[in-house]
Amino acid sequence: MVIEKVLPPFWTWFVQAALVWVALIVVVCVFGLLLASFVLTVERGFKRAAVSIGRAIVEAFTDLIGAISFRRISGLVFLAIKESIRRRVLAVFALFILLLLFAGWYIDPASTNPSVLYLNFVLSSTGYLIILLALFLSCYSLPNDIRNRTIQTVVTKPVRISEIVFGRVAGFALVGTVLLLLMCGVSYLFVISGLSHTHTLSSENLSAMTDPQGIVEGYTGFTSTVHGHKHRVYVDPDGKARVEMRHGHVHRLEVSGIPPDAKYSLGPAEEALLARVVVYGDLQFRDRDGVDTKEGLNVGDEWTYRGYIQGGSPAAFIWTFAGITPRRFPDGLPLELNLGVFRTHKGNIEKGVLGSIAVRNPRTGLTVETEIFESKEFALNQGVSTNQFFIPRLITKASSVQIIQRKRIGPQGVELDPPSETLDHQLAKKQEFDLFEDLTDNGKLEIWIRCLEPGQYFGAAKPDLYLRARDGYFALNLLKGFLGIWLQMTIVLAYGVMLSTFLSAPVALIATLGVMIGGLFRDFMTQLAFGQTWGGGPFESFYRLITQENVMTQLEPGLGTTLLKMADVGARGFLYAAANVLPPLGEFGWSNFVAYGFDIPGEVVLIRLLQTVAIVLPVCVAGYFFLKAREVAE
Amino acid sequence: MTFRQIFIRKIVYLGIIAVLLLPLFWLGQPATVGARGVSGGPGGLLAQLRTEYGLSEAELGEIDPTSEAMRLATLGLRGVAANILWKQADTHKMKKDWTSLSATLEQLVKLEPHFISVWRFQAWNLSYNVSAEFDDYRKRYDWVIRGIEFLKKGIRYNEFEPKLVWDTGWFIAQKIGRADEWKQFRRLFRDDDDFHATRPKELRDNWLVGKEWFQRGEQMVDQGAVLRGISPLLFYSDRPMCQMNYSEYLERDGIFGERAKRSWVRALEEWLEFGNREFPTSGDEVIRLNDREALDRQVAEAAARLDELAPGLREKIRQEKLRRLTPEERIALETLPQERTVEQQMQAFQAEAKITVSHREVAQRISGPNRQEALRLADEAEKAMEKSERIVQQRTIVNFEYWRMRAQFEQTPQALEARELIYLGDEAFRNSDLIRAKEYYDKGLAKWRELLDLPEFPQLVKDGSTGRELLDIIRNYQRILDARDEPWPQPFILQDVIDLHKDRHPDFQVPQ
Repeated sequence: MVIEKVLPPFWTWFVQAALVWVALIVVVCVFGLLLASFVLTVERGFKRAAVSIGRAIVEAFTDLIGAISFRRISGLVFLAIKESIRRRVLAVFALFILLLLFAGWYIDPASTNPSVLYLNFVLSSTGYLIILLALFLSCYSLPNDIRNRTIQTVVTKPVRISEIVFGRVAGFALVGTVLLLLMCGVSYLFVISGLSHTHTLSSENLSAMTDPQGIVEGYTGFTSTVHGHKHRVYVDPDGKARVEMRHGHVHRLEVSGIPPDAKYSLGPAEEALLARVVVYGDLQFRDRDGVDTKEGLNVGDEWTYRGYIQGGSPAAFIWTFAGITPRRFPDGLPLELNLGVFRTHKGNIEKGVLGSIAVRNPRTGLTVETEIFESKEFALNQGVSTNQFFIPRLITKASSVQIIQRKRIGPQGVELDPPSETLDHQLAKKQEFDLFEDLTDNGKLEIWIRCLEPGQYFGAAKPDLYLRARDGYFALNLLKGFLGIWLQMTIVLAYGVMLSTFLSAPVALIATLGVMIGGLFRDFMTQLAFGQTWGGGPFESFYRLITQENVMTQLEPGLGTTLLKMADVGARGFLYAAANVLPPLGEFGWSNFVAYGFDIPGEVVLIRLLQTVAIVLPVCVAGYFFLKAREVAE
Repeated sequence: MTFRQIFIRKIVYLGIIAVLLLPLFWLGQPATVGARGVSGGPGGLLAQLRTEYGLSEAELGEIDPTSEAMRLATLGLRGVAANILWKQADTHKMKKDWTSLSATLEQLVKLEPHFISVWRFQAWNLSYNVSAEFDDYRKRYDWVIRGIEFLKKGIRYNEFEPKLVWDTGWFIAQKIGRADEWKQFRRLFRDDDDFHATRPKELRDNWLVGKEWFQRGEQMVDQGAVLRGISPLLFYSDRPMCQMNYSEYLERDGIFGERAKRSWVRALEEWLEFGNREFPTSGDEVIRLNDREALDRQVAEAAARLDELAPGLREKIRQEKLRRLTPEERIALETLPQERTVEQQMQAFQAEAKITVSHREVAQRISGPNRQEALRLADEAEKAMEKSERIVQQRTIVNFEYWRMRAQFEQTPQALEARELIYLGDEAFRNSDLIRAKEYYDKGLAKWRELLDLPEFPQLVKDGSTGRELLDIIRNYQRILDARDEPWPQPFILQDVIDLHKDRHPDFQVPQ
């Protein structure tokens, strides 16, 4: 599975994100205060303005923290639910069912990985529908109440403005939650039924496999074709059967009788819907001179996600895993590898490129090569089995054992790790190795992958090798996928309610839509803010656009260029702030995890949950201030 | 604005809408089918134009409700949606997300089922570009077939588009037969029960299956389908070329004797049949590739009769022209071609053009009672010559003469035996049986000698393609001798081939 944006570890993220969040809140508060002071001073004079602002701050503390009542909020939540039902939100569910009914027209079960298509479809269609619903519900609710003056019936009751805002958001969120749960249940049934199939196999489909002496070693053949695919099967003379993975699944094959004239029955599709709980490591590259580098080679791919290493040289991928303990992996390490292969010459067309896998202790440098393997390229994307390895706890067979020092280019020149004086060459003379005693240091261990054939290259990115700790429950993972949609929905609701406190319904709708779309360009805005894009900042880019100037050419030095660059410096601060205020909705979609059968890590869920809270809370507070400022609310 | 004003305005709007709908209704009125002897109506202007140009959905090919539903659902933004999907498909390809790429292409063609370029471009993308991304040749083959299946689907939607049929033939024939992994691809193609369904195994050759598709395309065009964007000459050459390639690949697969001979005989028949087909040229003239020899004979006869009317006149005119050349041009002409400088080559070329005597020039110098006859003969010769030159140009495009000669000599016993012996020699060399390898090669080279000496093929030894092939064989022979540590035989049986072709192949090391 491709993960282009890798999140840092939780605490690293938390400290960084908290600092930015606090800074932004302070900036927004100061800016808001200055704006309010200016407007009120112009309207009422300095003294009265100061009094009003002071009173507003005190009231805000009371409304938002001191006197907030969950009972009153519950009442308002109930009102919001009633309003949602009155506005026929259940029609969205009916629309969803209608979409599923016709989905079979567009989803091809004969695709190489149909589960990916099915799951992407249910998750994306649910996402679009729910977000649209949230958009309309949140943007039209308050403005309609204000226009129809029904808001008077609420504000004349002993409720606080903050409770109105929180009540709306929470009420709509509750409605959305129920809808999402319903959709999740229906989606589960839809996916299960869409992928359900089996094949048939008879003795006529099997042919004997013989050794050079003509002795039958087993039988092989193909099952019947269903959903545009068939599986190759291997049956031993004693009746043991193996079915090859195709289209992302296998079937259990039961043989009753003596092959080949036995009765064969295949079970339902298995392993199509997984939730692999995996452990990722940090990836570093080793170049052909044996020196550590951050990036691999580029073999001409436009997409630089994967770095490549040269075969038949000291080059290697080095994944460093942490937290490897006997308690987590009592029997050994189950590894899965998804590789890219690039050939500079044909080599042996009939065979994959040879590679090796080794385990290294980062402290002692003891490196044990456990296996030589033949590459299988992009296995995960094609619905065939990946390169799977198992490194046992007790390693008794090794194709090579050596002490390897890692070379890094530091300020002092070449640095060796471990240093030469600490090397213990006796370690490499052992015959057996214990994974945890000999090859793990304080829970840390390195996995080295090398390409053995000169002139050929292997390519990989960080998520391409992982330890498959266990398999979680698919249904639970699907639920987590829907949680991602729920988070998106909540953010949209908060923005919609906040913007509708001071804008008319259609304008609020467009503004919320703008915020959502702006969120999609968040990364680009950040790049602009840090000057990482070609063609300069917004002002310079605009100048280049209208003068049709190439982004690569230098602008003529002069006053105009200096002014443009200065304006860009000013715009960068604004862009950085805007990029952080806009919600990164795209990053909340976890359909890839669910579709490719990977458990959504708890850390990712926690980070996104905190992000949602960090967005929704201040947005609601802003909504409170805007609504309070409106005459109607007063 | 009062309620009354609003009401009146609404009524006015409704009236304008109704008026505007009238011409639309008149233009878009559907055609009706007659019943019980009563003829149906032709419908509105749009319906008539659709019928005239064969643009109605049912006339283009299969109607797919999914596609129709999707096109309607885009509410007129079909083009925009197709562009977005196209961009998405590019991104999926760049990110090697093959599942999503396939799904996106499915949606794309549902939106644009009659946009031929979409089918052609994306089928090429799948069979040629995506397949090349894979390391495992079986996966590469899978994607080549996906591209072919994609085209076949396109044909269902566009039943009268010969280009899609031609592409299908091309992919099956050329992509499977000419890839680096052609051996593996041809084997997988033969064993592909899903693709061939009921086709017997012996007919599952990519060249034969490709030929069937080319034939189907030819039939479509012959029945009136319009051929756009492909030269008819190339379009019609592919079917007989498939038979040529089939014959060649039979021998590459080690099948010789009567079966190979029959295949070459058929290849010649089909090539000559292709030569008999009429092709339009730019000057509203129709030519047939086989006609060149007859036209050349016609030119020669007319020229001979012209010369009979005024014996020696042609040479006299030539001498006059020679005398008019500048001294430099004369020196250039007298210098041997291989010894001319670059400047002299240009001068000699111009001089040759200046001293050429046309039939018309000869005829115009004849006076008296024979003048009319001479002018007629000159005209006849010039016209035949022009046509012959045009045929030569067209023949060059498809290498007509080479393939005709190839199909002729390949069916001789000498060629069949030579091919078989060299094949056996290669096999023996691959199995490290150097003794047999040399024996086979010696016999094979002797057979090649016999073939080159046949009086029917005097041009064979000079032919560039044959020369290149023979240099490869000689190179392999040299390897066998090197492996046996034996000296190069003196004299070598195909020395004339080396002498004739070595300069055109600088990478060829002349054996010592």
